[in-house]
Amino acid sequence: MNKTLDLQDMRKKIGGMVDNRVRIITAGLGLNELRAILRGDPPTEKPNPRYRVHTTSFLFHIRPRYYEKGATIFANTFRLGFFTAFFFFVELFTGLILMIYYTPSPDQAYNSILNLLSNVPFGKMLRDIHRLGAEAMVIFTFLHMLRTYLTGSYKKERSFTWFTGVFLLGITLFLSFSGYLLPWDQLAYWAVTIGTSMAEAAPLFGQQANLILRGAPDIGAGGLLRFYLMHVVLLPLAAILVISIHYYKVSREHGISLPPRYEEGDLSPEKKKEVKQRLDFIPDLFTHEMFLTALGLFLLIAGTVFFGYAAPLEHIANPQVTPLDTEAPWYFWWLQGMLKLGDKTLMGIIIPTVIVLLLFAIPYIDRNPFRSLYKRPIAVGVGIFAVITLIVLSYMGLPHYGIQTPAATRIIQDLAPEEGVGPLRAIPFEQLQTGVYEVGAEVPRDLCPNLDYGCPALTSVFKEFSERVTYAATNDKLPDYKRLPNARAVMVIEDWQQDLKKVTLRITWDDPATGEAKVYEKQYFLHRERERG
Amino acid sequence: MSRVNIEITLGVILVLLTAGLIINYGLREEERMRQFAQHQQAQAIEVGAELYDSNCSGCHGKQGEGIPGLCPPLNDRYFFDARIKEVGWSGSLEDYIVATVSSGRLVSTRPEQYAGQGKPAMPAWGDAYGGPLRIDQIRDIATFVMNWEATAPDRGQAPVLAGPPVGTDITIELPEGDAAKGETLATTQGCVGCHVSTNTGPAWAAGAGAPGIGERAATRFTQPDYTGNATTPEQYLLESIVQPNVFVVQGYPENLMPGNYGQTMTAQDAADLIAYMLSIK
Repeated sequence: MNKTLDLQDMRKKIGGMVDNRVRIITAGLGLNELRAILRGDPPTEKPNPRYRVHTTSFLFHIRPRYYEKGATIFANTFRLGFFTAFFFFVELFTGLILMIYYTPSPDQAYNSILNLLSNVPFGKMLRDIHRLGAEAMVIFTFLHMLRTYLTGSYKKERSFTWFTGVFLLGITLFLSFSGYLLPWDQLAYWAVTIGTSMAEAAPLFGQQANLILRGAPDIGAGGLLRFYLMHVVLLPLAAILVISIHYYKVSREHGISLPPRYEEGDLSPEKKKEVKQRLDFIPDLFTHEMFLTALGLFLLIAGTVFFGYAAPLEHIANPQVTPLDTEAPWYFWWLQGMLKLGDKTLMGIIIPTVIVLLLFAIPYIDRNPFRSLYKRPIAVGVGIFAVITLIVLSYMGLPHYGIQTPAATRIIQDLAPEEGVGPLRAIPFEQLQTGVYEVGAEVPRDLCPNLDYGCPALTSVFKEFSERVTYAATNDKLPDYKRLPNARAVMVIEDWQQDLKKVTLRITWDDPATGEAKVYEKQYFLHRERERG
Repeated sequence: MSRVNIEITLGVILVLLTAGLIINYGLREEERMRQFAQHQQAQAIEVGAELYDSNCSGCHGKQGEGIPGLCPPLNDRYFFDARIKEVGWSGSLEDYIVATVSSGRLVSTRPEQYAGQGKPAMPAWGDAYGGPLRIDQIRDIATFVMNWEATAPDRGQAPVLAGPPVGTDITIELPEGDAAKGETLATTQGCVGCHVSTNTGPAWAAGAGAPGIGERAATRFTQPDYTGNATTPEQYLLESIVQPNVFVVQGYPENLMPGNYGQTMTAQDAADLIAYMLSIK
């Protein structure tokens, strides 16, 4: 009856069972193999068990088995493509959570953002990350394309990959832009009104295109729903499809291109061998991706928490009030700059279309077989020229370039911008001493000598107001729209309600052209508990 | 250490740092949300003040003081303490304000006290009822009005007069009038609500071929259709103020103008007001 316990045999049996289980979970990696991976040892079995997962798992079959060692050096890719994809996944993840709190209707949209910010723990952080990720994705998409262009990586077997990449650039821009409207604030409403009005300039079908985008002649419930559905369904699906093609080409077909100096340079056989060495997905590439992901998440969170990046939110959209300085999102400043140069149809539709077609066609236009910078002077020249043009056009797209805002409007708008805080609204409530402060020849040192804590913020705002009005009044050499001859200006502060003051800024002057007396006046109500930036 | 090991170590450190940042942020979430709600409330009051100033202050007064006989004051103890009980409103006062502003008032609920500016007594302001304002704007206005609650004075008693009221006898001798004081009185007594800001009553200013009230008063009592007892322009104006129904200008209904000004003004007030009106040519 009593059988001796054969411990060794039992251990072997249990070990075998565990090993078997582990192999099932890891798609073929036994315990010894896992240990070897973590130690950085070569594979313990043949055929290499680390490749098996690529055939048995769906998610791993689109991942590369290996990249060539020479292609993975940091200065070759700067990991730009990885981070573009990383941000896309960040957007998917945060976007899905944000969808829970969002209602795509003009009555509710803005309220859902307010609710997210005031009533959902980590709601603000999610929104900030979503926005930061979107901007980063645009930047990295562009840099990734620039890198690919400069290393000539779009040539030969990679030309179709480039083609899908241009698609992805467009999808990224439209994803970002379609998300712009959703908060339904002034920024959103007017940026998108301007954006979609460009579609109107398209020849032949402009009106229809505009109507299809907006759902009605003006953006309203229909337009918001359309942009929402584009943002959360159409464009993400398109992005997933095209990213899959784009990535599959890289990971399973042609791999990452080697640096041109390795591919075209004179390498010693040993160096060539080292460059061509395989860097397996498991463990090297996988670990590296995990590391980059941890780094990316850290930077995103630090960006919002530590460096204070915050998604903007202006007043609720008001179709009746056009903001003074309307501004496209920064990645469309170049387009706004072009629009200042000429006709809407030519600059807004025809030239951008030609640019996009040229981008698509680059691999087919550029027949130069070399990839090294030194062997393709024309292509590099064109690239540098394009980047400089983009920067210059973007600068010209800024709201203050080439737009002649009358001096009085400009001065008051700079002190108390329609959106955001600005110097006037930043004045602490206690310093808003009621009174009538007239701009005179002398700028006062202190507006409220009777207060023991003084009012430095109020004084400095009034000083700026005085100085700018006096400058515009006394400088005859300025262009007419910047002049305020015979200017008189006043700042009035009144008690209005409990914890509420009314500030009136008024400038009167004689129009330089006609001599007619003119007045510009703005009133601001400032509450004690308002945000002071 | 191999590169893999280094990356695993650094990655774990980064994940821990990230977690630390998130936890630190999370500890301050309650405070941040509370503060955001406070800023939001302040912004609603600011926006409401602006909207009130441009849309409501014409009738209800720049400071919510209302116009006697026409529009009820909103900056008033009674409004905050008893109004919703009086009308039997089951919700909060803020909801009551939103509802009233949105849909307006076809007829006044207190016609003998506050008749309103005609029919409807108060127009509908909500865009759902054909008005110009969106619901969020109306909510901001309500938030602004509610901010008067803490400071609203009790306007229950009649204002204290500086002397005996002028009464309704139009033949009495009035003291010397001061047109500048009269201009102030026109606002505090609420005349401007109907005669200047709106066309509820005959406009004082000159316009549409007719001269100003000062000139009209000089000739009106001599015209054949005149039914009152005045024999001078001053008497005609005093009669219009203290006995508004003796003669009503054609095109305006009777009983539109409150009949109690004889009790709310001193002789000096009446003289100042008349001097001001006569100066509007």
